[in-house]
Formats: sequence, C-alpha cells, structure tokens
Amino acid sequence: MTDSLLRVDDLHVEIPDRDGDRRRTAHALDGVSLDLAPGEALGLVGESGCGKTMTALSVLGLLPGGARITGGSLTFAGTDLASAPEPVLRGVRGNTIGMVFQDPLTSLNPTMTIGAQVAEPLLLHKGVGRAEAWRRAEEMLRLVGLPQPGERLRTYPHQLSGGMRQRVAIAMALICEPRLLIADEPTTALDVTTQAQILELIDSLRARLGMALILVTHDLGVIARRVDRVAVMYAGRTVERAGVRALFAAPRHRYTQALFAALPERAADASQPLATIPGLPPSPVARLTGCRFAPRCGFASERCETADPPLEGTDGGARREAHAFACFHPVAADADADAHADPVAEVVPAAPVPVSAPVPASASVRTDDVLLRVTGLTKDYPLRGGPFARRRGAAVSAVAGVSLSVRRGETFGIVGESGCGKSTLGRLVVGMETPTAGSIRFGGRLGERFGERDPATLDRRARKAHRREVQLMFQDSYASMDPRMRVAAILREPLVIQGIGDPAGQRARVARLLDDVGLERGAVDRYPHEFSGGQRQRLGLARGRARAPSLVVADEPVSALDVSVQAQILNLMRELQREKGVAYLFISHDLAVVRYLADRVGVMYLGKMVETGPAATVFASPLHPYTRGLLDTADHADPGVRPSAAPLGGETPSAADPPSGCRFRTRCPHARDLCAREEPLPAEPAAPGHTVACHFPLTPYSP
Amino acid sequence: MIRFLAQRTAQAAVVLLLVSVIVFVLLHQLPGGPARAILGPRATPQAVEHFDHQQGYDLSLPLQYVHYLGRLLTGDLGESYKLNQTVTALLADRLPKTLVLTGLSIALAAVLAVPLGVLQAVRRGGIADHLLTGVAFLAYATPVFFLGLVLILVFSQRLQLFPAEAPQADTVGGILSAPSALVLPVVTLALGIVAAFSRYTRSAVLDNLSEDYVRTARAKGQSNARIMARHVLRNALIPLAGLLGLYLPTLFSGALVVESMFNYPGMGLLFWNAAQGSDFPVLLGVTLLVGVATVLGSLLTDIAYAALDPRIRSVS
Amino acid sequence: MTAAGSVNASASVSAAAATPGLARRALSVFTRDKPALTGAVVLVALMAFCFLGPLIRPTDQTHTDLSRANLPPGSPGHPLGTTDLGYDMLGRLMTGGQTSLEVGLAAGLLATLIGTVYGAVAGYFGGWLDAAMMRITDAVLAIPALFLLVVVATIVTPSKAVLILIIASVAWLSPARLLRGEALALRGRDYVHAMRLMGGGGARAVFRHIVPNAIGTVIVNATFQIADAILYVAYLSFLGLSIPPPAADWGSMLSTGITYTQVGYWWLIFPPGIAVVLVVAAFTFIGDGLRDAFDARLQRLGRNG
Repeated sequence: MTDSLLRVDDLHVEIPDRDGDRRRTAHALDGVSLDLAPGEALGLVGESGCGKTMTALSVLGLLPGGARITGGSLTFAGTDLASAPEPVLRGVRGNTIGMVFQDPLTSLNPTMTIGAQVAEPLLLHKGVGRAEAWRRAEEMLRLVGLPQPGERLRTYPHQLSGGMRQRVAIAMALICEPRLLIADEPTTALDVTTQAQILELIDSLRARLGMALILVTHDLGVIARRVDRVAVMYAGRTVERAGVRALFAAPRHRYTQALFAALPERAADASQPLATIPGLPPSPVARLTGCRFAPRCGFASERCETADPPLEGTDGGARREAHAFACFHPVAADADADAHADPVAEVVPAAPVPVSAPVPASASVRTDDVLLRVTGLTKDYPLRGGPFARRRGAAVSAVAGVSLSVRRGETFGIVGESGCGKSTLGRLVVGMETPTAGSIRFGGRLGERFGERDPATLDRRARKAHRREVQLMFQDSYASMDPRMRVAAILREPLVIQGIGDPAGQRARVARLLDDVGLERGAVDRYPHEFSGGQRQRLGLARGRARAPSLVVADEPVSALDVSVQAQILNLMRELQREKGVAYLFISHDLAVVRYLADRVGVMYLGKMVETGPAATVFASPLHPYTRGLLDTADHADPGVRPSAAPLGGETPSAADPPSGCRFRTRCPHARDLCAREEPLPAEPAAPGHTVACHFPLTPYSP
Repeated sequence: MIRFLAQRTAQAAVVLLLVSVIVFVLLHQLPGGPARAILGPRATPQAVEHFDHQQGYDLSLPLQYVHYLGRLLTGDLGESYKLNQTVTALLADRLPKTLVLTGLSIALAAVLAVPLGVLQAVRRGGIADHLLTGVAFLAYATPVFFLGLVLILVFSQRLQLFPAEAPQADTVGGILSAPSALVLPVVTLALGIVAAFSRYTRSAVLDNLSEDYVRTARAKGQSNARIMARHVLRNALIPLAGLLGLYLPTLFSGALVVESMFNYPGMGLLFWNAAQGSDFPVLLGVTLLVGVATVLGSLLTDIAYAALDPRIRSVS
Repeated sequence: MTAAGSVNASASVSAAAATPGLARRALSVFTRDKPALTGAVVLVALMAFCFLGPLIRPTDQTHTDLSRANLPPGSPGHPLGTTDLGYDMLGRLMTGGQTSLEVGLAAGLLATLIGTVYGAVAGYFGGWLDAAMMRITDAVLAIPALFLLVVVATIVTPSKAVLILIIASVAWLSPARLLRGEALALRGRDYVHAMRLMGGGGARAVFRHIVPNAIGTVIVNATFQIADAILYVAYLSFLGLSIPPPAADWGSMLSTGITYTQVGYWWLIFPPGIAVVLVVAAFTFIGDGLRDAFDARLQRLGRNG
C-alpha cells in the first residue's frame, strides 16, 4: 500500500441544497475507496448517477459549484489532495495529473486556437518560452495522430471533427507528461470506430509514458479490453473491486451480477426476455441505512437493510490486489458455471414468471405480407454555397439509393455509425422529409385502401391516413413531448388531431395505452419531467401506438438509457410486438441491441445499404468488409475476446463529397481498382435473402 | 463570412428602403397635406395647388414615392421654413456634434460597465452584486431627463462644479475645447446605458463561467484570474459588439432629451425645436437620418462581430 | 398487465408529485425573491395612492390659483407644497399617476399581445414570410421610438386612447423579436415534429405548443413593456406632447420643474421623478423575479433527465 499512486479512502462528497434546506442535501459520494498503483489502468464503471464522474472530479478538486468533500482522504503520490490548498492543486492539475472530458466540443474554448490551448499547460507548469511551447504542442499533436499538425495549430475547434477534437483534448492533457490520466467517458460522444481509435491511442500513450489511467465509463464493453482492474460503483459507493478478468468471469456483488445479466449480449436468444433490475437507484437526497442496493436485490436480508456491508475480500482484507466486494450475500465463488445459465430466475426470484410460453418472434410473420417496401430511396440536401462547394448544386448525399422491405409483425434493424443516413432514412419512411428520388410503398391496411401508393403522391386525406399507420418513436422521449402538457393531453393529442372518438372515448383509450406499456393510470395527471428516462420511453411508445399503427419506426429508442432500463424497454417492445403484431424499423448504432431484437438487419455506410439479411446470419457470417469491421471493432463485454483485425482506420469521408464507386473503398482493406471505378450493386452470392453490395464479398464465415 | 456579410448588407438595404417608406407615409399624414404643412395654414388655395403641381404631389402615390426617393438620393430633403436653410445643410452642421456626444457616452459607458459586470459575476450573490443590481435597475427606471435634472441640481446649482449648459460652439473643435461643460451631458447619457451594459456583461460572464471549457482550463491548472482574462472575457465580450447595434436607437433617443435639456447644439436639439415649431421638413429629415444612421450603425457592429468571432470568420 | 408491466409497478411510485400550475409557481416567486416582493408591495401601494388617494383626500386639479403658487412643502394644507399654477402637489401627484398607470398598463399589454402573435407566426413559419416580417420590424426599430412618437404626436393631438395606440405601435417590436427567437428555437423541438407527424397544422403548433412554451418569456416581457410604456408616457408629457392640461401627468410636472431648477424649487422635481422611478423599478423587479422563477423551473427540469 505504500507504493500506491492514488489512494482514495472512504470519500464523501455532499452537495447542499440550493435553498439551504438541510434535508435536501445530496450525498453524491457516500464512501468511495480506490487504490491505484503507478502505471496501472483502473476502470470505474456504473450507471448514470452512481457518482463515478463526481469521483473523477474530486481527485483534482474540480467539483461543481457548491459540492464539498466532507469526509475521507485522497492521497496522490504522498500528498493529500482533499485538504490541499488551491495553489497546490493548481500545481498538480494539467501537470502531474491530466484529465480528459466527455464532450470535446464544449470542453475546448471556441475562440482560442488549438495551438494556444495545447501549449497552455506547458507555459503554466514548465516555464518554457512561447516558441518552445508551440513547438512541443505541434509534436504532441503529431503524437496523437492529428494529420498536418503544423497547420492545425492555428485552427479553431469548430473546424475539426469530433474524433480529432478529442485527440486535441488528449494532447492537452498529456503534454506535461503526467503520471496519471483521468478520462471521464472519453468516447461516449463518438462513433464506434472512432471510439476504438481513441482508446487505442490512450493505450499506446500510456505504454509510452508509463502513465496510470482511470477510465470512467458506463460501457462494460469498453472496460473489458482496456484496463487492468475495475471498480464498480452504485449510489455513490464502491461496491466491488477486482481484476478485470476476475470480475467478468465471476462477479461477486449482486448488483454487478445483475448488470452483466441485463446486457443484450448475455441473452440466450431473442425468444427470452432480458433480465432486468426492477426499480430505480436511490435518490442522492434520500437518507438510507444499510446496503444501497438492498431494495432492488433479490437476495437481500434484514441485515442488508440495517448494516453497511464493508468493502473487503474473502479473506477479510482490502489489499489492492484482492477481489473485494461490499455484500453480505455475494455470489458463490465457484458459481461461474451457472452465472450464465438462467439469469432471470437467479437474479429476480420473486418476480412473476412470464405467463405466455416463449414463442419466437418470427413465427407471427407471414412471409407474403409486405408492409413497407422502399426502392432506390435517395435524399440529397443542397449545400448552401460557401467555400466548400466546388460547383453549384453540390449536395450532401444523405441517403443514396436504399432498398429494403419490412413484413408485418417483424423487426427490421438498421445499423450504422453516425452520419450513415439511418436517421434520415427513418424520417423519410415516416414522412417527415420528402425523398429526392425513389419510392416508398405501403402495403397492409394502407395498401388495401389506396393501393400500394407512394405517400408523397397522396392527397391530404390519404396522407392523414398514412400518418395513422406509421409512427415514430423518438430517441429522446423527453424532447418529443411538450413539457407544458400533462400526459393526458400528450397521449390524447394524436386522437384529437385525427378526430377519433369523443373526449370520453379518448380518455378510455389513453388508459388502455398506459396499461399496455406498464405505467399506472395515475400518470395522466403528471408532466413529462416527473418521469424517469425509461418511463418516458414507455410514454413515447404509448403515444406512438395511440392509433395502433402497423409500423413503428424507432430511432435509437434505447441509446440514451442505462443498461438495466434499456432491458426493460426492449422487453416491452418485444411483448407488444407479440401481442399486437406491430412491425418495427429499429434504427440503432448499438450492434448488441439490434442483434437481440431484429429478425432482419440492414447495414448502412455513408448513405448506402451495404448488406441486408437475416440478423443471425449477418452477425454470424458477415459478407461485407464494413460489417465485419463493425463487428470486430465493437467492444464486447468479455475480456477474453481478442479482435481478429485492427480497428477500422481512417475517418468516414464527408457525405458532401463521397468517394467514387464503392463509398467504403477508402477504408476497406480489400479495395482494388474496380472498387473506385464501379459502384457495386446488391447481389445475393451466398444465400437468398442475404444481399451484399460489394465487388469482393467475404467468404461465408470462417473464424 | 463573405456570405454572411453580403446577406446582412442586402438586408440593410431593404430596411433602409422601408425606412424611407415609413417617413414618406408620415409625410403624407401631415395635417392639410404636405403643401399646407410647408407653406403654412394661411396659404391660398392657388398657392397650394401650384405647390402641389410643382412638387408632384398631384401624381399617384407610387409615383410620388419614386420622386421622393429620387430627391433623397440627391440629398434634397427640403427646406426649413423657419430657419431659412436647407434641411441637408442643417443636418450636416448638427450631425457631427451629436456624434461627438454619443461617441463619448458610449466610451464612458463601456469603460464603466465591463468592470462592474465582471465584478458582479465573480461575486455573484454577494452584497456588491445585489447592490449594483439594485442600482442598475434604478438607473434603468430613471427617465433620462429626471437624471439630468438631478445632476444639474446637485452638481450645477448646489455644488457649482459644472455648468448646466453645454458648450455653444459651432464646430466640433469648439465643443471639445470646453470640456467641463461637456461633463454633465455626457455623464447623463452614459449612465442610462451603463446599467444595461453591465447587466449584459454580468450575465454573459456568468454564462461563460459555467461552460465546460472553463472546467478544462481549471483542469490544466490555470488560476481563476487568468481564466477570466484569457478565456472568459473574450468569449463574453464579443457579443457586446453586436449588442451595441441594438442600443443605437436608445442612444439617439437619449441624445434627443439630453440635448434639449442642456441646450447642446446637435441634431436632437434641432429636432426638438422643430417639434415645437411644427417645422415638418426638419422633423422628417432628422427622423430619416436617424433611421439611416441606426441601420448603418447596426451593420457596422455586425461586421465587427463577424470579424471578431472565429466561428463566423471561418465557416467550417 | 403484462409481465414487463408488473415488474415495474413499483418504479412509477417513485416519480415525483404533480407539479403545481403556472399561476402558483408565479406567485411563489414573491415568497422567495425579495426584490420582486418589494416591487409588488411598492406597486400595490402606489396604485392605492393614485386611485384611492383622491377619494380620501380630494383636491382641485382643474382650477388654477396663482395666489398660492410655488408654496414650499410644509405650508398649511399642502404637505408637499404647490405647483407653479397653485395646484396642490400631493393631489396632483395622485391624479397624474392615474394617467401614467392606465396608459402604461393598457399600452404595455396591447403591445405584448400584438408582438407575441406576430413574432410567433414569423418564427414558426420561417422562410420568406419571416424574412418579410422581420425586415418590417427592423425598419420600424431603426427609427428610435421617441422620434416616431414625437412626429406622430405633433400631427395628432393625443387623447388617452390615441396615446395608448401610438405607444403600443412602437412597443410591440420588442416582444415580436423575442417571440420570433423563441419560435425559431421551439419549432425544431421534437415535440413539434411529433405533432406534425400526427397530422397537426400550423395554427395548432403556434397556439398550442409554441406560445405556451414561451409563456415565461411573454409574461416577463409584458412587465418590461409596461415599464417602458410608463416611461414613454413620461417622456412624451415631459416634451409637452401628451394629453393637454389641465390633465396631470408626472412627466409634464417635471417639465415645468426645469424652469425652476436655478431657484432650487426641488419639490417640483423630486416627487414626480421619484414616483416614475418607483413605478418603473417596481415592474422591472417583478419582471426580473419572474424570469428567474421560470428559468429555475427549466433548470430543475433539465437536471431531472
């Protein structure tokens, strides 16, 4: 213990109430203990609100206004930072401890040049002259992989992409060669492939500088391959500490176990509902006794509610290397055999077993009943001049000739990174945007009424009918609901606009909708902001279903949610599909979620659909190099899995000027001349139903 | 940026045109029609008819407007029948002096307001903040003329420090050579603006203090003072340039009152006297000029804003 | 209820209690924000002073009495002295306030109403409609209100109604610009998109979603408009362009006061001036308190996500 680089002992942080009400003091940190050796990488995980960011900020004394350290100690290389005076802290910040934040756009000063910002710590701490500082800044920018670093010095943050900005932030944090780097969700705001690049960068710099790392994240997949040890946090406390392999193989704390069980990757197959953690984390204002997880734990006893379980290993000690946990009824040490077996029953024994026998979702699909057929859909956004339009009429090609079909009652997943056009595609299908070319045809009830018509050609009355059949479920339900309207008005609005039923009938329908999504009827009198994120997504789903559409387009419906809440929503969507036969067009960048829920999947890249087919087949045996790259790059929540290829290099080209021929060729390891000359057309080289647009598709699966 | 500026200039041109339309409409609302307004209420019907024909007032309205616009563009704003000079000449004489007054006032206001605003932001919620906020509100609520009266009473009548009348010189040089007589008018005009500017600075600085990049700067080890000076102020003050354009109408209104109170020989006093004497050509001429000055002033401050903010300067 | 539902019945219980309505939140400002409370108290007091005062202590405000001109405060029967025309100062202060308050309130509210709808429509529909509407406001804004008011007042002899109209006709610009900004921001919100997806149209968008969500701004702006309108009345009457005598107004009382600064008849100047400052400051404090209250609510909402 004497050679710890950073040692946090029972740290307590409080945030007093704005109006001075003592009862509303928030206990942001309620006993955090960490131990970091020099050069070691520690992952700090937990869901939102658990206090991991607060812990990171406490180390450097950067707590937000009002928050204070009220107990415990924070020792860094022998100095107690919790009680150190401000000048000492300033000497440490940016110098021996560097920090990188989540959002690189807002974390950089928009009116200062990159060079000035990166050179600043040098000028502050190392007493070098300005010329020397800028020279070293340029070197640092080259080290973090920024192209043309000399020119970049004089540019401004808004001129760089998200990935490049984060590299700049890393350069700023490391330029004084600190002994510890704290990274708070450094990749959450970035694309999957960019995420991988940034994490690789941090890894290599760490090795080069012999630096320790604290990586704060909610993403278990990110942790799996990048850190040596992990600390799991819940409700402001450290609940488990272990080496990364030990933690993933055999978690001891019941919360950790439940967290792993709720991951979509851990679901046996799509016919089983995901394990969920009932209830919500406690409010930081609540004064609780005993284990904070007890109210939601299936194994809690009376002792758990009165006494605080200490954080210690099986031998009673709390050595750094020990696998320590704060639980009176931990998972048995040799339980790794059944840790995967039947997560639902194991974790939540008291919950009622699902009544209906598990039926594969695809059984309700009639293969001849096509609901939505998209052909050659194209959407261009005209560029408004400016220095980058090389010729008049230049446009951003958001969706370029996409074709797909969705059958009644099935789930079609669309995956791709940001900028690939999947959201635009969703908006086109729903009718929020008009396509530049191509057609969207609806069958089913709409087809019966109007023939298979293109909604763009329909008159107003028909278009209103169209709006009944297809609805959108937003990513952020809070933003999609008028904050000044109560739930009753929000859910009734679709009915009122369409003139369906009288007020009494509408109210009755609203009550049924709430039942269907598992919310109590009393919710009608409340405002959206009074609900949690998961509950709001339920409201969004309820509203989308107000007129019983046959197709719901869900645009990233669970991306903003914690893992445990995500599981609840996905289960709900599955249930509704089984009971009501609604089809989903499920748009997401999260491969695990899509793999769990989708029957068929389409992969998009830069406006093009590069591969479509049955989900199981595409994920197990991808034919397109991009799909393969995505699958490899995405972090799996399993430290044992080593990627078979390096992360996809480069950055996504601009949609305003896409590469000729195959748009993926600039990043494709198999690209040849043909790829630049000719655009590949969709074909079915392997099996019917599995199309791929590639001149040299991969051979069907081999490890 | 070029595109932004081109857009703004085109907008300004349209607005200028609309301003001339407004003044033209007002011209035709004059009692008895423009002819009577200019020739006086005792003019004979024949004189009126002759005047109308000569000036083109018997043509259709749109054509009249075209003539009017033509006259404007050649600098013909009519003649003051009280002062026996062309309106243009009068304006040319008075405008520079008003500009001196307003210019000095803006400078004084900025010099006072920025430090006050920063102080309030840094010591937010403290006694100084509340006190200064209260003073700012009272200043905003005080009509310029009352403020001027109080200042005259205290500093001129009681303390005998400054004269109650502004310098009466004809030229700008003459004005500037009597600084003590300039004090009260400039201070009166400035105080009205200081309140608004300091409130703006306070809220802009506060907004910036809660931005993420300030946290990053602290994470690098910067001291609070240096953060304020090197990071926050440049982000907070850039919009102030744009704000100036918004305040030009207020400034001119204030100048109107201040000039009439202190007998300052600028455009405001000219306007005021014309209002008393129903000298419509002068009234409308000044109104038009003030409108034009405001539009041009806004355009200039927008250009300055674009030049200062890198996000606008270099489109990404 | 489905399986998913029953597992989460407990979840909805932990949601917060229902939010109080807008009116209650607005009133709560006055219990928390001391300057706003002071402003409200001052305002009520002044209104009582102006409207109830003359009933309790009637004075003659139409017949001059030069024999009793310019008496200083403390003279028998005249606690605040008399004006240059022999009117009792205190009484004149009361009746003068009536005009200022009535015209100010009416003009301010009218301006807010017109401006709100104008701005919301311009901001929501955007495009050329917005461009045209905004160029018009720009043009009217370019000419300082005072200048316009003076020109119009020279042409027309104002009565109370006319005064209200011409002040409102320059005061509507500020809420129009504000609401346009709000509408621009709000029309991109997902809930507006969602409403359009349901088949809703422009009128519903503006009146059911945009204006209600900007109501905080509207209310705050209304208080500032009233304050400004009272100032305009004072300026106009100071310049002698308001309702002609013997109607009383604080501004015209001040304009007579100028002539007497050199002899130090301070009681002609300070009472009406302070009265104006008090009323305008009161409205401004109230408006500022309301703005903080509405912002605070929004901040707390944001953090709850």
